[in-house]
Amino acid sequence: MKKKVIGLIDGQSGNIGSINKAIKDIIKGKPYQLKIIKSHFNYTSFDKIILPGQGAYATLMSNLKKLKIIQPLKKYLENNSSYLGICVGMQILSDWGYEDKTTRGLGIISGDIKKFRNKKLIIPHMGWNTINLNKDDTVITNSFDMKDFYFVHSYIFQNIKKSDVLAFTLYDQKFPSIVKKGNIYGVQFHPEKSHKHGLNLIKNYILKS
Amino acid sequence: MLKTRIIPCLDVIKNKVVKGVNFKNIRVMGNAVEMAKYYSLSGADELCMLDINASYQNRKTFIKTVESIAKVINIPLTVGGGVSDLSDITDLLNAGADKVSINSAAVKNPKLIRQASLRHGSQCIVVAIDGKRYKNKMKVVIKGGREITKNELITWAKQVQSLGAGEILMTSMDTDGVQNGFDSNMLKKVTSNVRIPVIASGGVGSLEHFYLGHLTKSTGLLAASVFHSRKYKIKTVKKYLNSKGVPVRL
Repeated sequence: MKKKVIGLIDGQSGNIGSINKAIKDIIKGKPYQLKIIKSHFNYTSFDKIILPGQGAYATLMSNLKKLKIIQPLKKYLENNSSYLGICVGMQILSDWGYEDKTTRGLGIISGDIKKFRNKKLIIPHMGWNTINLNKDDTVITNSFDMKDFYFVHSYIFQNIKKSDVLAFTLYDQKFPSIVKKGNIYGVQFHPEKSHKHGLNLIKNYILKS
Repeated sequence: MLKTRIIPCLDVIKNKVVKGVNFKNIRVMGNAVEMAKYYSLSGADELCMLDINASYQNRKTFIKTVESIAKVINIPLTVGGGVSDLSDITDLLNAGADKVSINSAAVKNPKLIRQASLRHGSQCIVVAIDGKRYKNKMKVVIKGGREITKNELITWAKQVQSLGAGEILMTSMDTDGVQNGFDSNMLKKVTSNVRIPVIASGGVGSLEHFYLGHLTKSTGLLAASVFHSRKYKIKTVKKYLNSKGVPVRL
């Protein structure tokens, strides 16, 4: 049987060690193989792509540009191929990011990435917070409803269509914590740092989507 | 709702968790990797580990220990102790730390905070501040409290925030190691003057101390002895806090 190919993009935006290890543990003994993407790639040769990210929107976009990853990634996503974006890896699915400077995103899920509204809020939103499901699917099953995940971010998805929001979280204001459009998923939290529920989410994404 | 984080702290020499005051009477509490794994499984929200004897020889083993720990836990890991420049920070992040804590080096060279946060993002730069009362003022101290700097505590806390620190790990040297509770007064002064997360450290001895720590508006509560000595399990602390209406991850 032909193995399914999972691409893990190293956008030089934080450490990919934990997510790399989580994926390897999940696919051990199963018909999958993991490839690290660090430069231009053939978008038709991947079944799934995961992009973890930390830090700033503009930094990740400029890293991906330098690595010549933007163009194939855009084609891959426009094809509605399977994708999981983590934190900034989710945020760059939007049209625009307003962190540090205004940066054009991949434009896959319409909306902008802007700061939390309340200027008195403790920022970054750092720690474990609850996700509330609007609807479930094979990856984001009901079992994740009201569970805690680990967040570290200061910017949130705004002006997003309600139908693209799978789950929201409350930190002074409601914000999208899981977005989905077709086969494209994005999570604002870090599943690779979110203990068993986080690992289950990655597992579901790999094995059930 | 955002949960208050319970953070066990491991003081490490090479690969052993130790307890000791000013390097005297150092007692080995256990193997660092085993203890980290145990805390991750038993409900810790984050883990903090500090190289308390960052000599050249010990450093290599310590970094290996960070690598081993990062492989067996799946909660965030903050690593500090002996961080003196940008390359130390990069080494620790590459070894699997999610956040790196800087203390004396930041006091000596505040620009390091800005350089580090620009390179790696604010979210992974923690500035550890040791505070102590001196002549009716709260001052920043280094070298485990033995050297009082010219920095006034609140001014320094605001400065590290503006330089790009993502979080402050606030230890009061007036309460550390005594187990009489966090330094509520000092912590409140800090939390009311910054808007980045503050982790309270130094002085926990009872369950109520955790609750009082929460009341200072610190979003993380760090403790070592009460966990290492098995006086309390993390679950016990969280159940207690939950019963007092504090949001925790159960």
